[in-house]
Amino acid sequence: MNNLKREQPPVYPVEKVTIPDTKSTVLSNGVQVYAIEAGTEDIMRVEFTFRAGQVKESMPLLASTTNMMLTEGSENYSSEELNRLLDYYGIFHNTSSEKDRAGLVMFFLSKHIDKVLELSREILFHPVFPEEELSSLLKKRLRWFLVNREKVQNLSMDQFFESIFGKNHPYGHKIKGSDFEKLNTAQISDFHSKYYNPGNMAIIISGKLHEKSIDLLDKYFGGLATGEVAYYDDNRKVNSQKRNRIHIEKAGTVQTSIRIGSTTINKRHSDYPGLKVVDSILGGYFSSRLMKNIREEKGYTYGISSSVSSLDLTGYKVISTEVGKENLQNTLDEIYREIRLLQSVPLMKEELSIVRNYMSGEMVRMFDGPFALADSFKSVWEFGLDSSYYLRLAEKINTIDPDEIIQLARTYYNIDDLYQITAGTK
Amino acid sequence: MINYNQFTLDNGLRVLVHEDKSTPLVAMNILYDVGSRDEDPEYTGLAHLFEHLMFGGTANIPEFDRPLQMVGGENNAFTNNDITNYYLTIPSANIETGFWLESDRMQELNFAQKSLDTQKNVVIQEFNQRYLNQPYGDALLNLRPLAYKVHPYRWPTIGMDISHIEKADIKLIKSFFYSHYAPNNAIMVLSGNINFNNALALSQKWFGPVERRTISPRNLPAEPPQTEERILTIEKDVPANAIYKVWHTGPRNGPDHFTLDLITDLLAGGESGRLYTKLVRERKMFSEINAYITSDIDPGLIIVQGKLMKGIKSETAEKAINEVIEELESNNDLNEEMEKVKNKFESSSVFSNTSILNKAVSLAYYELMGNAELVNKEVDLYRKVSQEMITTAIRKYFIPSNCSTLHYKSTRKEK
Repeated sequence: MNNLKREQPPVYPVEKVTIPDTKSTVLSNGVQVYAIEAGTEDIMRVEFTFRAGQVKESMPLLASTTNMMLTEGSENYSSEELNRLLDYYGIFHNTSSEKDRAGLVMFFLSKHIDKVLELSREILFHPVFPEEELSSLLKKRLRWFLVNREKVQNLSMDQFFESIFGKNHPYGHKIKGSDFEKLNTAQISDFHSKYYNPGNMAIIISGKLHEKSIDLLDKYFGGLATGEVAYYDDNRKVNSQKRNRIHIEKAGTVQTSIRIGSTTINKRHSDYPGLKVVDSILGGYFSSRLMKNIREEKGYTYGISSSVSSLDLTGYKVISTEVGKENLQNTLDEIYREIRLLQSVPLMKEELSIVRNYMSGEMVRMFDGPFALADSFKSVWEFGLDSSYYLRLAEKINTIDPDEIIQLARTYYNIDDLYQITAGTK
Repeated sequence: MINYNQFTLDNGLRVLVHEDKSTPLVAMNILYDVGSRDEDPEYTGLAHLFEHLMFGGTANIPEFDRPLQMVGGENNAFTNNDITNYYLTIPSANIETGFWLESDRMQELNFAQKSLDTQKNVVIQEFNQRYLNQPYGDALLNLRPLAYKVHPYRWPTIGMDISHIEKADIKLIKSFFYSHYAPNNAIMVLSGNINFNNALALSQKWFGPVERRTISPRNLPAEPPQTEERILTIEKDVPANAIYKVWHTGPRNGPDHFTLDLITDLLAGGESGRLYTKLVRERKMFSEINAYITSDIDPGLIIVQGKLMKGIKSETAEKAINEVIEELESNNDLNEEMEKVKNKFESSSVFSNTSILNKAVSLAYYELMGNAELVNKEVDLYRKVSQEMITTAIRKYFIPSNCSTLHYKSTRKEK
């Protein structure tokens, strides 16, 4: 190359993130609001969240169907009208139902806040659950389910959850075709009235807020009766199943899906930040050991990753990949070999420094912009934590040493405790 | 509104800079003007395979990802029919590392046999995962050669056959690199927390010395107008019957692009779209249905695709799709409905432009099409679409002789 010395430019340490404050306030009826002021465009996001996820359901599909039925008609609007209005005002809405929480998120141009809040109140608190719409929704969902069940990655993941959380725990509910025939509107209404109670709601609003934003929230939500917040919590214990190796045979597939993992600690545990670092080294980013070995060295797969997730009652870690069936055994062997290496050989300085810097960069991204801030806030708030969790994580990223990594890998990746689920053609 | 300044280096590299100081990050996007349409029909899938090889290291930098992660950066890339696009985001203090990495691999790759062998396997697994190992995954593999007989859009970006990937060798890879990867065939956009002067100085320092190269001329055969309806039926063990209908459109830069975009939004933009409302909600014929345009640079496709509910005949469902389109053509009062999709388009544009990376990718793409300034005009152009333009476009494009239809018929007996 002409004249230029292609030396690496100086490397500057990634600056520590500054996390803007979240303002906490309550509406006239005591509903909790968290406001995050950020961003340069006139846009907002408002999230209404409830403890109304899968964990609260007495039968499969109940939580997710109740959530999806929210936009299928309300006291003042038919389902068609609701959807037309949401589109007319350029609103992007997500109804979402996860393992612990469920609710509604609206993204919109700030000028439409009045309409957004009016429609949100209709959707959340005045749904009518028409018989016919429920029946159509369940028929549609059955078709989607039949398509999803063809994909090996869904077969292995569903079995994984059943195995680690137990058949009888709602976290472990594995859906069957016949489940789509069991739900009726009375069950949906009952679930809604128990768990979509204003007293059980928190509102997270973020974006370029203006003075009136909170007043408007009070106008639409401050007058709702919060009533008794019934918890109906029996907090059934998560009971992992005994059998920890399961293969689901599916004829005619060219790839086999692998899930390896188990339940683990969640965000409330002091080891969690350290476990995040160990997980990143193993399979949490592009230069992770599993990616380097199984994709970049051997070409067995298009992608392999590991992740650690927090739930209210527990946490879980899982290694996920899809590989050519001829490489199944080799891949399994290599995954376990990588775990053993992590438990026995101290990390070299360079690798530790890469993972530190990569994770520090990720933290910058987690707090870049109003919507990322809202997500980051919610994901500690729901565990009763605050932004000090992120300070502990940043501290751990910068101070963890090779010995601690070995200790954590031994404690949390004990191979005998791991569940191994495969799905595909043997 | 995306403000930007631009300059061109002596070697032909076009650079655009958009300053946004509200973020601690910078996005660097490099678009190479090469896609799967530029491939030899005997060696399809090469542009995409090449994208994988771009991460395989150079003589100076054995691994691309490590030094980037060392400075808190993150990157990825995509290939489509028209372009190959690489992007990274990086904390602004370390942006020079991005310049170092990207200019280095623009200069020359390692062309290591080991890297080629591994990435061939990775791409074959990608092919299996995306196209073969899921129901309807092969739809585009079948649809493209049905709709295109001559133009290279007849094969998908992954390649028309896996054997093409298997037979690629180092010689071919090298020649592909030197005839497509060059500063004079690339557009770089910097977006985020960076000053224009700094961007200019760093571009000159790192990309300035990369020499201009001779780019293979692009002489693509034009697709002759389709003159009769084409139908392909695949009987297969899939969970339900499905329909894919495609019609040829004009080029991305042509006068009808936004009209067709708006028509597909009227048909299927969200749950209030006509196809969803009539065929999913009211008539309960489909479990899902969608419509969109491919937005390719050369004449592309309008695609309508849906999965049928149990017990619905393909013929009935197809007729119902045609009826919805006919209704749209004969409707004289679309004002409110048009206002709805126009509002949604505008809102979508505002949200997309909150991301420095989206802004960088859009700027590069509009610059490639000839005018980066159009990035700030797309909402106006979309808003200008009138009822008359809709009617005219439906009559022009949505005609049976311009249409190819793929039916999946499920051979499965459902209990």
